[in-house]
Amino acid sequence: MTLATLQTRLTCPFCGPRHLSEFVFHKTVAPPNASPFAEVYERIDNPNLSIEHWQHVRGCRSWLRVHRNPSSGSVLEIHLLGAAI
Amino acid sequence: MRGASPHYSAWSLLRARIKGHGYWQPLWTGHKLQEAYDVVIVGAGGHGLATAFHLARDHGIKRIAILEKRLVGYGNVGRNTTIVRSNYLLPENHYFYEDSLRRWATLSRDLNYNVMYSPRGVLDLALSEDEMSKAARRGNAMRLAGIDAELLDRAALKRYCPELDTQRARRFPIVGALLQRRGGTVRHDAVAWGYARAASALGVDIIEDCEVTGVRSTAGMASGVETTRGYVEAERIVFATAGHTAMIGSMLGVPLPIETHLLQAMVTEPIKPLLNTVLVYVYPGHGETYICQSDRGGLVMGGMLDGFPSYTREGRWDRMEDVVEGAVDLLPHIAGCKILRHWAGTNDMTMDGSPIMDRLRYDNVFVNAGWCYGGFKAIPASGAAFATFVATGSAPDLIKAYRLSRFTTGHLLDERGGGPFPVRL
Ligand SMILES: Cc1cc2nc3c(=O)[nH]c(=O)nc-3n(C[C@H](O)[C@H](O)[C@H](O)COP(=O)(O)OP(=O)(O)OC[C@H]3O[C@@H](n4cnc5c(N)ncnc54)[C@H](O)[C@@H]3O)c2cc1C
Ligand SMILES: [Zn+2]
Repeated sequence: MTLATLQTRLTCPFCGPRHLSEFVFHKTVAPPNASPFAEVYERIDNPNLSIEHWQHVRGCRSWLRVHRNPSSGSVLEIHLLGAAI
Repeated sequence: MRGASPHYSAWSLLRARIKGHGYWQPLWTGHKLQEAYDVVIVGAGGHGLATAFHLARDHGIKRIAILEKRLVGYGNVGRNTTIVRSNYLLPENHYFYEDSLRRWATLSRDLNYNVMYSPRGVLDLALSEDEMSKAARRGNAMRLAGIDAELLDRAALKRYCPELDTQRARRFPIVGALLQRRGGTVRHDAVAWGYARAASALGVDIIEDCEVTGVRSTAGMASGVETTRGYVEAERIVFATAGHTAMIGSMLGVPLPIETHLLQAMVTEPIKPLLNTVLVYVYPGHGETYICQSDRGGLVMGGMLDGFPSYTREGRWDRMEDVVEGAVDLLPHIAGCKILRHWAGTNDMTMDGSPIMDRLRYDNVFVNAGWCYGGFKAIPASGAAFATFVATGSAPDLIKAYRLSRFTTGHLLDERGGGPFPVRL
């Protein structure tokens, strides 16, 4: 299921669909079991699935884990960061 | 049969004038993919083409192919805002980019193709006394390295660029600028075409519509590439794939310190000559605009990255608004101009903002990438130095700092001082 096309909106689990400019992208996740250096510098850059940390800075300020398809721009899943999926 | 375009000179142009358009030949034609090469270069962007040219011209390597999944110039070499400069703070960067800027000055002659280098000056606007001190620091670092830099106060800025509105009341007033006079613009398409024509004339095969999908190896060395046109054997392989390098990392099973982000650019309808320099304007809490005028008269503008990974090549709308607002703020009289075209490119953003020129996984596989949103200006220096690296196996001093291991030893080249993030909004 596609939640939204990221170009304009992102759906916060608390605030609902909000304009993209309310959110700030932080980073894509590093490969699993990475060394401390890799944790900081390496990224999983997959054109079909990007797993990312965002924050709803101009809203409820919660940290989010967002799954997207960066080739189509569609958002696949959004969870509160740290919450069990 | 391979066609060759004739040598251009004042006489040949005169002849063309008399003979009419029948004089003009395709810049390169008739290239056929062979079964094996000494060097296979993946990606016909600026860096791939320049590397091929120098491998053939300076190192006498005979069997070279460039494999391009789309068309020559389809990638960022044909999408950038054409700005060239060497006003970097860190020594590793300013020596490298200065080498490139010197090469731009003679490139038209070297390629026998007019790339329209226009040293019209690049102005980095300063909006506070703090920013003036930062500009002075960068300018001094450059001057110590023998690179031209001038700090302009508001009056001097007004003299250099009279069309810039420095007087209007702003939350952050324009107080001065750092000027590099030899910075300016170069016609981007001409760079791709000029290198492709020159490389072709030296026997390089340019194969379009040929995507590399895998690397084969035997006994710990790469032996060739899988492509959409079949297997090609190669003694050495060069990846110059810019905004698709992260995918190459996955292909080879090497995670890279790269995220792929979009950068947009746009151009207005042509207007009479207005702006004879390049303005770079970063306004706090808001965004960024850089603007120059093309020889055809269009105002070419760009700004910040979109801010998250994307391969769509469709820019976000509010970023376009930021860029246009900044442009109109600097030059209020352009407010009525229409945007004619707008596009975006995928950028291979590294975690310190500096490029990567190294081997990748195998001893005979090389990667020339991580150009972020500033790799157009680097093309001439990168091509020459990288060709030396590929031909001799040892990296020239000019590019030694760009090795991949810096991300595990901590010797980063973080020009912006922004930490391991391509964007901080
Ligand atoms: C909007 C915008 C504005 C910019 N402005 C400036 C500027 O003002 N000044 C500046 O210095 N820099 C600027 N840049 C950055 C600069 O354009 C790039 O850093 C530089 O062009 C990248 O190197 P390249 O030319 O080799 O890349 P590209 O032209 O992108 O070449 C890479 C090629 O590899 C091909 N490829 C990828 N994967 C494969 C594969 N698997 N098989 C075969 N082929 C493949 C692609 O199709 C592409 O043609 C800008 C970039 C953008 C997007
Ligand atoms: Zn929220």
